[in-house]
Amino acid sequence: MAELLLDSNIRVWVFLPIVLITFLIGILRHYVTILLSSEKKSELRQVSDSHALIRSRILRENGKYIPKQSFLVRKSFFNNEDKGFFKVEKRESQAKNPMTDPSMMTDMMKGNVTNVLPMIIIGGWINWAFSGFLTTKVPFPLTFRFKPMLQRGVELITLDASWVSSASWYFLNVFGLRSMYTLILGQDNAADQTRAMQDQMSGSAMMAPPDPMKAFKAEWEALEVATHDWALEGVEEELTGGIIQPETIYLRSKN
Amino acid sequence: MATIAVRTRKSRKSDGIAFSEMSLRQNASVLEYCRTSISALSGATAGIMGLTGLWGFIFYFITAAMLSVLLLLKAGSRWNTFFVTRTVLFSNGLLGGLFTYVLFWTFLYGMVHVY
Amino acid sequence: MAQQMSLSEARTILKKFRDEQTRDSHLIINLWNSVLMDNCHKLGDELWLVYEQVCAAALDCQRFDTAELCIQALDNKFPKSIRVRRLKGMLYEAREEYTDAEEEYNSILEKDETNMYAKKRKIAILKARQKISEAIHSLNDYLKSFMTDYEAWNELCDLYLSQLDYNNAAFCLEELIMYNPHNHLYHQKYAEIRYTQGGNENIELARTYFAQAVKLNPNNLRALYGFFLSSSYLAVSSNKGVKDKQLNQKYSAWAAEQIQNKYESQQPESQLKETKVIECIEKLLDSLQAN
Repeated sequence: MAELLLDSNIRVWVFLPIVLITFLIGILRHYVTILLSSEKKSELRQVSDSHALIRSRILRENGKYIPKQSFLVRKSFFNNEDKGFFKVEKRESQAKNPMTDPSMMTDMMKGNVTNVLPMIIIGGWINWAFSGFLTTKVPFPLTFRFKPMLQRGVELITLDASWVSSASWYFLNVFGLRSMYTLILGQDNAADQTRAMQDQMSGSAMMAPPDPMKAFKAEWEALEVATHDWALEGVEEELTGGIIQPETIYLRSKN
Repeated sequence: MATIAVRTRKSRKSDGIAFSEMSLRQNASVLEYCRTSISALSGATAGIMGLTGLWGFIFYFITAAMLSVLLLLKAGSRWNTFFVTRTVLFSNGLLGGLFTYVLFWTFLYGMVHVY
Repeated sequence: MAQQMSLSEARTILKKFRDEQTRDSHLIINLWNSVLMDNCHKLGDELWLVYEQVCAAALDCQRFDTAELCIQALDNKFPKSIRVRRLKGMLYEAREEYTDAEEEYNSILEKDETNMYAKKRKIAILKARQKISEAIHSLNDYLKSFMTDYEAWNELCDLYLSQLDYNNAAFCLEELIMYNPHNHLYHQKYAEIRYTQGGNENIELARTYFAQAVKLNPNNLRALYGFFLSSSYLAVSSNKGVKDKQLNQKYSAWAAEQIQNKYESQQPESQLKETKVIECIEKLLDSLQAN
C-alpha cells in the first residue's frame, strides 16, 4: 500500500493543539474541582453510627487479642437481645431522594459540570474545528476492526487501519493522559494528600453508610457468628521456647 | 487427632508478621509513579527512534523489566521490608503503563516520522 | 540549634513533624525564630500549615507573642475558618482564661456539631481545671458518639488510672489493644494494670500479656521484669497444682536469664558488680527453687 504523506501544517495546527488542549483541560478541570468542592457536612448521628460500625468490625478482627471475658462484654454491648446497640438503635432510612435534597442536587450538578460537560463541549468543539483530518499513524499494524474506533469522521474503506483521525486522536488523549495527571498533579498536591490521610486516621472523613439500619443488620449478623479464639493462648510457652505437648493442646483447643 | 491440633496451632502462629497499611499504600504509589514515568519516557524514546510493530512492544517490556531489576537492586536483600511479595515489583501497573507507553510512542512517532 | 539551618531543611523537619504528629515544640519554635520567620514569603501555600503548627507549639512554650502573630495572620487569610477559631480557643486556654475558651469552643460546636477537636478541647479544659470526675464523665459521653477515637480511649485510660479505677482503665486498654494489637506498650500497660489488681486470675492474665509484650519487642526490659514478677508470684501461690507451679518456675527462670543477659550485654564489668538487681533476682529464684 502506498505511503500517505501528510501536510506538516496538520502537525502544527491539528495534531499538537489537540494534545495541548486535552492536557490543559485536564489540569484546569482538576483545579476547578478543588475550587467547587464543598466540605461535606455530616450529622453527629451519622458520624457516630459509622464509628460504631468500625468499632464492631475491629472487634471482630482483633477481638482475639483480648481476654474472652472482655470480648463477650463487648459483643453483648453490640448484640445483646434486649439492650444491644444494634438492636436498640433505630434509624430512619436515609436514602435520600436526590430531587428533594437541594445539597445533593448541587453536588450532582458540580460533578456534572466538572466531568461530563467539558467532555461533551470540548469533544464537540474538537469534532467541529478539527474534523476530517488524518492526524497520525500508530506505529503498529491493526486489524480492520479498529477502523471505526480510530478513524471516526474519516470514512475511507481502503485506508489502512493504523491511521488515526483527529476525533479519535482526541479520545485517545483523553484516556491515555489520565495516568499522566496523577504523575503531575499528584506531585504538586502531596500536602493535601497527607492531610486527607490524617483525616482518615482520625476518622473524621469517614463516609457514613447511606442506610444505617441495613449496615447495622449486616454487622449484627457478622458479629453474631464471630467467635473468640484467643491469640495469646500459650504465648509464654512459645516465648520460653518450650514445646507444648500435643495432648494438652488438644484438650485446650477443644474447650 | 492430636497432630491435627498441633498443626492448626502452628499455622496460626506463623501469621505473626504485621504490615503497616499506610506504608504499603505509600510504597505502591511510589511504584506506580516510577512505572508511569518510565513508560512515558520509554514511549518517547521508542517514538523518536521510530520503532514499529512488534519491536515497539518488545522495547516496552524490556524497559519495564529493566525498571523492575533496578528496583530490585535498589531494594537489595531487604526487599521484603518494603513489599509483601517480589512479584509486585514486576507485575504492578504493567498494563496501565502500556497504555501510557502507546500514547507517547504514537505521539512522538507521529511528530517525527509520519509527516 | 544556633547554627543556621537552611530553609529547605527546616521545612522538611516541620513537614515530618506534621505528618507524624510529633510534639517537639521547643525545636519548632527555635526553627521558626531562627530560619522561617524571615522567610515566610518563600513558603507558598505551606505557610498556613506552618503557621498553625507554630502556633500550637508556641502555646506549648507559653510564647504568646508568637502565637498571637500566627493567629492574626491566619485570621486575616481565613476569616471564618473553624480551625483558626480552635487556635484562638487554645490561646485562651494557655492563658488560663477558661471561660472564654469554652465560649469559643461552644460557638464552634454550634456551627459544626461533629467537630471532634472542639469537643476534646472542652474535655481538656475540665482536666486542666482538675475536675477529673467531670472530665471522665464527658469523655465517656464523647466516646459514645466517637467510638473509634483511640486518642480519647488512651486519655480516658490515664484519667481512670489517676482515679485508681483499674477495671475501667483495663477496659480502655483493651480497646487500644484491639485497635493496634502490635503495639507492645499497650500490652505491657494492660498487664501492669492486671498485675496491680492482684488475684491469681488477674496475675495470670498479666503474665500472658507481659509475655506477649516481650514477644513483640524482645528489648522491652520492663515487660521482662513484669513477666518475671508475675510468674514468680504464681510459682508460689498458684492453686492449680504442682504442674502449673513448675511451669511458672520455668518461666521465671527464663525471664531471669533474659534480664541477666540484657544487663551483661549493656553494662561494663565494673558496673555490673554494683548492680544489685541481678543479685535480688538470683535470690528470689533460689527461694523459689527451694520451695
